[in-house]
Amino acid sequence: MSADDDDLTEGELTAGDLRGGGGGGGGVGRAPAFLRRNAPLVFMPALVIAFLALTGAIHPDFGAFDLQSLALGALPLALAAAAQTVVVLSGGVDLSVGPLMAVANVLAARSMQHVDFPTSLLLAALILLGGALAGAINGLVLVASRVPDVVVTLAAGFIWGGVALLILEQPGGGAPEAFLNLATGTSLAPWLPNAVLLLAAVVVAVWLPVSRSRLGLALYAIGSDRTAALRSGVAVERTRFLAYVVGGVFSAVGGLALTMTTGIGSPLSGTYYTLSGLAAVVVGGVSLTGGRGFIAGPILAAFVLTLIPTDLIFLNIDPNYGQVIQGTLIVLVVMGGGLATLLRQRP
Amino acid sequence: MQKRVLLAALLAATALAGFGRHAGAADKTYIVGVSNTLIGNGWREEMICSIKAQAKASGIVSKVILANRNGGPPEQIADLRNLISAGANAIIVNPSSRDALNPVIKQAAAKGIVVVAVDQAVSAPEAYVLSNDQVAYGQRGATWLFEHLHGKGNVVEMRGIDGVPADSDRHEGFMAALKAYPDIKVVAMPFTGWALNTASKQIRDLIASGKQIDGVWTSGIDMVVPEAYQTAQKPFVATVGADNNGFIGQLIDWKAKGLAGVAVTNPAAVGGAGLAVALDVLQHKDRPHLIKLTPEVWDNTTDAGMAKLTSVHEQKLDPFYSVATQVKPYTTYSTADVVACAGP
Repeated sequence: MSADDDDLTEGELTAGDLRGGGGGGGGVGRAPAFLRRNAPLVFMPALVIAFLALTGAIHPDFGAFDLQSLALGALPLALAAAAQTVVVLSGGVDLSVGPLMAVANVLAARSMQHVDFPTSLLLAALILLGGALAGAINGLVLVASRVPDVVVTLAAGFIWGGVALLILEQPGGGAPEAFLNLATGTSLAPWLPNAVLLLAAVVVAVWLPVSRSRLGLALYAIGSDRTAALRSGVAVERTRFLAYVVGGVFSAVGGLALTMTTGIGSPLSGTYYTLSGLAAVVVGGVSLTGGRGFIAGPILAAFVLTLIPTDLIFLNIDPNYGQVIQGTLIVLVVMGGGLATLLRQRP
Repeated sequence: MQKRVLLAALLAATALAGFGRHAGAADKTYIVGVSNTLIGNGWREEMICSIKAQAKASGIVSKVILANRNGGPPEQIADLRNLISAGANAIIVNPSSRDALNPVIKQAAAKGIVVVAVDQAVSAPEAYVLSNDQVAYGQRGATWLFEHLHGKGNVVEMRGIDGVPADSDRHEGFMAALKAYPDIKVVAMPFTGWALNTASKQIRDLIASGKQIDGVWTSGIDMVVPEAYQTAQKPFVATVGADNNGFIGQLIDWKAKGLAGVAVTNPAAVGGAGLAVALDVLQHKDRPHLIKLTPEVWDNTTDAGMAKLTSVHEQKLDPFYSVATQVKPYTTYSTADVVACAGP
């Protein structure tokens, strides 16, 4: 029980830090405590930099083209990871992320094929709304039926997978060049792919308002300890519902990103994103039991997971080892996380 | 004795020097990239092995870089970009989409990289395409089946992966054949994903459903069909498959037990043939952008067909490998190298 109380304090502190913009009460003496508590915040950028350095060492010609390859590969995965993170933070899990991305992907490719750029943006906005709605359906069913998240979202995943095939039976469709360019171009500098800018813009636009509001605090609270949160007056069911809505929006952006990076709609495009998104969540230091972690972690983890097959190609190693390496990385990160928790609980 | 050893060493040295000069005469050595997005599939493994074998046989390939994982267009685009970065001079790709890879193929071509799509087509005009005529593959096998059933009965079409070019093309051929036979009814059309376990479950479910089934057309996941009927202790139905070694074995061995069927050729050696074309183009030889192989049809209901099946069946070959280990005149390797999957 005392551990539970500790968790709740932890959640409050974490959300509080987010609201304070991170560096709020940062005296020198508090730095180690801050480091220990926010290990993922330090660890993940370090891991990304380490992997980039490794890639640079393997492949000295690593340049703007490769940076763009990385950004394009990581963009849909990062958004899938973001969608999953919001739900996981609230103590749930969303197994319909990938299929929902596929629905957004085929909807976009089918509707945008013969339209101009402004219309495509309007359609994109509608698809985001649809994503929110799909998330809302998940949330409503969960809250109303009290069926576990895994079951409801697994079923939803099958449904969305079928819907994607109904919308577009086989790969096809398209979108205006300018729309694709939102992810595939390099408008500002060759070293700064639009995909990275888009990702940053989406996360800031969707997540910042959430994390800075009461909802952000409530998400961490119900993820840490639902009963304690309820006793403290948090609207648990509304928060769970809203977590799925926000997740749905991220999934829809992920689907649009698939349209931008491939130029077409593909009904099976979401197949890998549910599980690889979850992998990114774990590597990114978000606790699968909820309530602990930062959205930046899984997003950065998406870049690491994208670099693994790249490095294997540069090293000319059988890419089947990529799965092995990814799995090993997950185990190491989870073990590292456990170690960090132990250290934290040391008096 | 000593003299003889010395002589042998001298000869070996001369041979080596000669080989070196030969490689030098071909001007340079090339790096070859391979992109495949369906793993754990015997046919695709054989395709990759034939690329490696051809690379070895050509003597002018220094390295074969393999980008091999399960995925769709997003993953394949990433792999192709990485192969470009890794310095590939030629890329052999089994495409997961007809259109989605075009931008990256264009980028590769702009860097002077020769891209050859094998097994299935891409629509990028820069690419070379070497593949089985997949429309004919669907049509010829289906026509044999409908003829065998005397134009009347229930059939199952066991397809591949929804949306990939080869599946669409084969389906187109299947439907074209179906037009001429109004009394043939397609009672199920499952997507096997070209995976044995999926296809096996689908056919077992179909048998268990009690539906009247007179014939099964498969998009190459063929062995599971006669096996399922065997397991269910039901009489075999006419089965259309590919030139997979194991299926050919079934056609021969189980003919006496009433299995009628046909193997439609779909050589996995298109991989090695694709590489041969790529190397030709790299050496400034003019090659057509579209090379289509016409599939052959080997049935076990005629003497000529049986003779062919018996002659191509290879005990030692993996049951999931296609028996057509060569695509002449393109491939120049020894079949042993494909089996050993040995590259440079």
